[in-house]
Amino acid sequence: MSVQEKYVSLLELANQNGTTYELSEGNEGTLVVTGTAPSAEAKQQLWDEYARLDPEFRSGDLILNIQTAESAAAGGGMHTYTVESGDNLTKIAGKYGIQWKAIWDHNRDILKDPDKIYPGQELKIPM
Amino acid sequence: MKIKFITVFTIAIALVLSACGKSDADLQKAVTEKLTAASVTGVAVAVKDGVATLTGEVADAAAKKKAEDTAKTVEGIKSVVNSTTLKPIPVATPAAADPALTGKIDQDLKKAGCTGASVSVTGGKVTVTGEVPNAKYAECVQVIMQSGITGIDNQLKKGK
Repeated sequence: MSVQEKYVSLLELANQNGTTYELSEGNEGTLVVTGTAPSAEAKQQLWDEYARLDPEFRSGDLILNIQTAESAAAGGGMHTYTVESGDNLTKIAGKYGIQWKAIWDHNRDILKDPDKIYPGQELKIPM
Repeated sequence: MKIKFITVFTIAIALVLSACGKSDADLQKAVTEKLTAASVTGVAVAVKDGVATLTGEVADAAAKKKAEDTAKTVEGIKSVVNSTTLKPIPVATPAAADPALTGKIDQDLKKAGCTGASVSVTGGKVTVTGEVPNAKYAECVQVIMQSGITGIDNQLKKGK
């Protein structure tokens, strides 16, 4: 039985509840389902079905990456990092394996000086 | 004697006709129409002796099942041989380089209150270790799967 056949009820549910999705093949034949659900409720239905098929999500043969239409519109490919006490741009950049300047470039609208950041500030991290 | 033979013969013919119902050509048309109505595309139908054989390439397993289920609902179809094939799917690309994915997941886990979990990413595949409260478990797995990874080895423990 192929991975798709194993999770066919999940795909059927996505078709029924208005979730749009694309399939791709990840590491070692993992089925990657990337999609957008029309509501948080529709997304939860999919996760409930996943839990029914694989109660602890341990098979490693499926990655369910579903956003809601709302979060997809807001996110736009950027990740948000919340500044903590003791952080600086170099240190934050190190956590993502990128250059501090990349963060600076994406946050010039909220930062006046790359050396001055404050705990609680939300920085956009390019992904 | 001759009349009796004709009567039996006529009844036999009538029985055969009623059992057959629609011809294979009619059934083929009916199945095709029903598939179109159900928005199943790319499937060709052949019918022989009431058995429908479906061929062609479909988008995924859900479409394959839908084609079969739809064909079965056509009256007069005895069984369905589903020989449709699944469209090959593209290779997944991780959303970012491994260190960036690790950083992103770490931060998202922290935000979601999954502090006991730790991750390492190699070639887009994440290995999850540590322990999170039972009530948080599903949410923590969700956060990880939504990060743009392409593989997972989930060793995360459920605590209390």
